[in-house]
Amino acid sequence: MASEPGLRLVHGQGSGGDIDVLLTRVARGDSEAFGRLYDEVAAAVYGLARRVVRDPERAEDVAQEVFLEVWRKAPRFDRSLGKAKTWIMTIAHRRAVDAVRRSEADKRHDQHAAPDELDREEPGEAVIRAEEHGAVRDCLDTLTDLQMESVRLAYFNGYTYPEVATLLDRPLATIKTRMRDGLIRLRDCLQGA
Amino acid sequence: MSDDLHTLSGAYALDALSSDEAREFEGHMGDCASCGTEVLELREAAASMGASEALTPPPALRARVLAAAERQPQLPPLVTRFDGAGKKRRWRRIALGAAAAVLAAVAGVTVTQTQGGPELSRPVAAVFHAPDVHSTQVRTSNGGTITVATSQRLDEMAVDTHQLPGLSKAQVYQLWSIVAGQPKSAGLVTDVAAGQAMPLPPAGAEVAITIEPAGGSRQPTSQPIVVLSPSRV
Repeated sequence: MASEPGLRLVHGQGSGGDIDVLLTRVARGDSEAFGRLYDEVAAAVYGLARRVVRDPERAEDVAQEVFLEVWRKAPRFDRSLGKAKTWIMTIAHRRAVDAVRRSEADKRHDQHAAPDELDREEPGEAVIRAEEHGAVRDCLDTLTDLQMESVRLAYFNGYTYPEVATLLDRPLATIKTRMRDGLIRLRDCLQGA
Repeated sequence: MSDDLHTLSGAYALDALSSDEAREFEGHMGDCASCGTEVLELREAAASMGASEALTPPPALRARVLAAAERQPQLPPLVTRFDGAGKKRRWRRIALGAAAAVLAAVAGVTVTQTQGGPELSRPVAAVFHAPDVHSTQVRTSNGGTITVATSQRLDEMAVDTHQLPGLSKAQVYQLWSIVAGQPKSAGLVTDVAAGQAMPLPPAGAEVAITIEPAGGSRQPTSQPIVVLSPSRV
């Protein structure tokens, strides 16, 4: 991984429908479709896992758990409850956060960092941004600092909202409100994008 | 329901609640149709944020994942058709006979987050709004419809019974869990609007509903209006 991570562009808008179709096929036990589904979302799943758990090997483990859960539960995926990709990313996030919380004690030490430090990018690590991802960045920029910090500390660092309140030294009620209105702003911005 | 709980939708969508709070919030969603929709949309926004961190995994991961999946059985869909063969117990045969026509109408129909309306009891609503919920609508032989939801995370199953025909005061709907052909009461539906929750039955078990005399019966005394196979989650 050190020199050339073999980057591949992640498709933007167009792939959402494909992922839904692929998941429907996976639900029927189609392992070829599962391979293609992997190709479509592996970078998103692994990238999120990597961002949350940090350690590359553990991120791989998390990604593997995520795909196995997707494989196992595909027959029960309920399309009325949202897009397939959202479902997969929700599983990925939950698994990643669980992994971080499991090793909270040793992990949290070096992450007791200032919020701005948490936003850093790993040097030498290229993050691919297709158009869709540029839109996310632009939309995140429309959030207030407190909204952004609250949302990011929870989503990317796995902190609970009371922990975020402590880290940012703000009242609980403020933080949970900022998480909500921050996400609402992000949603509205992405819908308009 | 309090504004206070409602505003947790953001923290919930970010997985930033403790498991107790998450459960409480899921209960709240049962009282708040708009919350389910909001959570869905906020999760989608969060997922976009997650996807913006895309990073190509090491190439070896693909083969490992596919090989691991090869060894992993998939979960069956929530409602499965019975094989109908080799059933020994008389009651079960009756149950299957009654259920055959009913199950033919099962279309694997799914429900939305707002399913059930605001009157569902809290435990029932909690299952319907669990993040890993799977739900299906099933017609019953007495002309009604039930919606069944299961959540592996909560280890619970719930039945929304508000679309079942009303019964006289002398009768009650009773839930049964059938393990190895043996029906065991899983509770009475005392309020059809509220529905009924029960622990997720063990693998291979079936769940039936019968109409029984008020107060319920120790064993089913009538043919079931529906039989389901929720299977193992």
